[in-house]
Amino acid sequence: MDTLSSMSAARIAAGVASGEFSATQVAEASLAAIEASEGEVRAFLQVSADLALASAKRTDERRAAGEQLGPLAGVPVAFKDNMHLVGTRTTCASRMLENYESVFTATCVQRMLDAGATPMGKTNMDEFAFGSSTESSAFHRTNNPWDTGRVPGGSSGGSAAAVAAGEVTISLGSDTGGSIRQPACFCGVVGMKPTYGAVSRYGVVAFGSSLDQVGPFGRCVQDVALAMNALVAGGRDSLDSTSQDVRPDFLEGLDDSVEGMRVGVIPALMEHEGLTAEVREGLQAARTALEARGVQIVEVELPNMASAIAAYYVIGPSEAFSNLARFDGVRFGYQEPNCATLAEQTALSRAHGFGSEAKRRQMLGAYLLAAGVYDKYYYPAQQVRTLITQDYRNAFERCDAIMLPAAPTCAWRFGEVSDPTQMYASDLFTISNNIAGNGGVSVPVGLGSQTGMPVAAQLQGPAFQDKKLLRVARALELGIEEAKLHRPGTVAPAFAKKGGDLA
Amino acid sequence: MRKLNEVLRDWEAVIGLEVHTELTTLETKMFCDCRLSHDDEPNTNVCPVCLGMPGALPVPNRKAIESIVMAGLATNCQIQPRSYFYRKHYFYPDMSKNYQTTQGPVAFCMYGHLDLEVTGQGARERPDGTVDKDKDGSYVAPIRILRIHMEEDAAKMVHLGGGEGRIGGASESLIDYNRCGTPLIELVTEPDLRTPEEARLFMEKLRQTFLTLGISDCSLENGSMRCDGNVSIRRRGTKEFGTKTEMKNINSFKSLHDALEYEICRQAEVLEEGGIVYQETRHWEPSKRRTVVMRVKETADDYRMYPDPDLAPFDLSNEFVERCRARVPELPDAKRDRYVKTYGLKRTDAAQIAGDPAVSRFFEEAAEAAPKAVATVANVMVNLVPATKALLAWQVASLSSLLAQDAITFAQAREVLEVVDGTELDPQKVVDERGMRQSTDTDALSATVDEVLGRCVDQVRQYREGNKKVVGFLVGQCMKASRGTGNPKLFNQLLRERLEA
Repeated sequence: MDTLSSMSAARIAAGVASGEFSATQVAEASLAAIEASEGEVRAFLQVSADLALASAKRTDERRAAGEQLGPLAGVPVAFKDNMHLVGTRTTCASRMLENYESVFTATCVQRMLDAGATPMGKTNMDEFAFGSSTESSAFHRTNNPWDTGRVPGGSSGGSAAAVAAGEVTISLGSDTGGSIRQPACFCGVVGMKPTYGAVSRYGVVAFGSSLDQVGPFGRCVQDVALAMNALVAGGRDSLDSTSQDVRPDFLEGLDDSVEGMRVGVIPALMEHEGLTAEVREGLQAARTALEARGVQIVEVELPNMASAIAAYYVIGPSEAFSNLARFDGVRFGYQEPNCATLAEQTALSRAHGFGSEAKRRQMLGAYLLAAGVYDKYYYPAQQVRTLITQDYRNAFERCDAIMLPAAPTCAWRFGEVSDPTQMYASDLFTISNNIAGNGGVSVPVGLGSQTGMPVAAQLQGPAFQDKKLLRVARALELGIEEAKLHRPGTVAPAFAKKGGDLA
Repeated sequence: MRKLNEVLRDWEAVIGLEVHTELTTLETKMFCDCRLSHDDEPNTNVCPVCLGMPGALPVPNRKAIESIVMAGLATNCQIQPRSYFYRKHYFYPDMSKNYQTTQGPVAFCMYGHLDLEVTGQGARERPDGTVDKDKDGSYVAPIRILRIHMEEDAAKMVHLGGGEGRIGGASESLIDYNRCGTPLIELVTEPDLRTPEEARLFMEKLRQTFLTLGISDCSLENGSMRCDGNVSIRRRGTKEFGTKTEMKNINSFKSLHDALEYEICRQAEVLEEGGIVYQETRHWEPSKRRTVVMRVKETADDYRMYPDPDLAPFDLSNEFVERCRARVPELPDAKRDRYVKTYGLKRTDAAQIAGDPAVSRFFEEAAEAAPKAVATVANVMVNLVPATKALLAWQVASLSSLLAQDAITFAQAREVLEVVDGTELDPQKVVDERGMRQSTDTDALSATVDEVLGRCVDQVRQYREGNKKVVGFLVGQCMKASRGTGNPKLFNQLLRERLEA
């Protein structure tokens, strides 16, 4: 008997389309898996069973009426809780928005629904996406399905965990400094941050507008490609003036040979002191796997990458301060009762509505944008941004993609990292990608020799060449599978057989 | 307080204006598709974008950019090929995002100018010797424009229960977001204005220009055009700027003039008594004809301005700018000059007609219908039409033709206008039906003239003794005798011929 968790998205959509099983059965299987696993994983902030069953019913009715079904027909999908979906709350895992009902649906969510996906619910995250472990959620923590004593990564930790535990097949996350790629790595799934502008940000509660990008999680590269097709279908979103018209078919040629393609590695980065031995080994295995597929490994440099974290912690908080200024309790969100003046209401609503990390980032941003300070930090940060973008351009003249770790370590135990700056440093390998705006994808390459937790390699490509990037990711996945280090499509072992049976 | 004329002999006023103009003729808001409206029910033209709901994103209104570029071209600005939107932060519920989207150091339009022709009584505010004046006392004042930038308007707030509509002490504050996100252009002048009259003229000229462009209804009364005046004074002959104050609540041209006049005189009095002018915002109270302190600026507000990451930098192509240039209609100055040149109108009349696009359209329509009486049309437009309610251009043309033919007097014309105003009646018919048409038959009039001269012996003697003014009395007698049907000009002519013979 096949379980939901053993199927790919393409397999589910095909089964629904052929009538092998109905979208309703798939939705019920997903709800059963959630029922069975949520107690241990706690990936969701809200399970939208009614929406899911209604959506699945519509898919089944369309099939019965002989209509053409979408490429994600009946595929159970979860959305990070900073994405609007009418009929759900969108809380950003914050007390500030604890009871906030979505008043419109985000473009990225709508496009997944348009492709036929079934919306299973909203996933946990770091509050307003500030964090790398999902521990800053105001509501509860999410446990890593590979070891529930460890963090799932963040900020899209719930989305990564839900896919890793087999509760859903695909999920969406948002990535401002690594928030898709790092939790994908920690949870042993594939996670993609497309090029900035490829996917609309309309309806995704903003953290850092110039850095944020929406992308999918899946258990194999093909599922991620399928989701990418849905996200860019329809092209440029007229509601997001920073979105671009790019709509390649990410599935086309996905399995084509990569022989002769060049992947760059950065030797200096691999010497970074925070990098653990098991991650280094994982990257070595990835290199071997790619070489086995005929890829040529070349050495490249990103000389200004060391400045990326500093630049990021200027640009990110500055934009966050500005984007979160609207949460004042006047029109929506938490409003402090019994205040005598407007100033008091604004101050106390924000003081009590936001958690400590959200306040830290906003205060940092308010400071960085202040007169006299702005010139000292914001301008240099933008200069660093230009330099890093230039570094990438130079590097990509010599290679088709760059491979580097997704995170310096495997998933850590709860409470292990408490110093914020230590937490910030864990984004070392992912941040430069957001600074430059090009695409990146995290691919599982096996389990670490020290922790037994998933290790991932991160591939980064030139801007708007996400299709080629996924082809390299697919080659890496195949090479790793051939080396018997990780089988694509698998869920965390403890959740492999938990509920979700499909005929 | 001393009078303005006296004060300005000793002190030089330095005035700069900031003028906000809502682009009321657009259909939608600056960054969303909500309808622009002035009088809809509160909070009916709102959406996630202009309400600042989480997750909403701005999309700039292309037509608004066209409007501001046209405004820049019409005020001789340089259109910047690359400019940015910035976020200006302040926490107040009238700005739903708690930041206003505006522009930073580089605005769409930079470094323009408007030249003011200051004439008549207003020109006397500027003491002789401080500017090159023509023989008639008029002069030209070139006023530089620093920039015109694009921004969004805030919501309207009403505070209930507090004093004078202020938030302090209010029990409730109501917010109407209909106005929030309305496209607004802000023009900032260099401090080149020297008298309240120049400031008033600048505003008037700017309003005429924007009206002609059709980018706004420019209502000072309704607040679609708003003006803040900055003024300081310095001793004549010195270069250093004095401390400036900012004038708010200016909702008419007269208020602008009078507030500046009051403020210049007030500052002079303070300084002459050894006091200090504080940098502060002052509120003009039209009823009491004075300015009062609104707030003292001790520190500059920190708006934490930075480029809006949701809006890509604007690269305006040459083609775009040229398309806007092609859409700029004939501007008031050019129109005035054309009227003077083509129709031989008086410069002041031509300027008055050219200044208002509706008036000039009406004038040109009437002029076309009465090509032989264009100067009379202009005269009627300037002197008679402003008092009427709903005249049609062809009625003015018809009436002007009668006047030009001396068929009626100016006083009769006024009477005819009252009859035809708001109707479809033809002035020619009204004149005929009422027997108002004046006779220009010299033979018939000569008989009347002879009769009058025959009986007014005293006046004839006076005239011959040198009192030529007495002819007026004789014309009156002729008019009376002809029961108003004779043409007074002709009577005058005939009387003089007889008397000089």
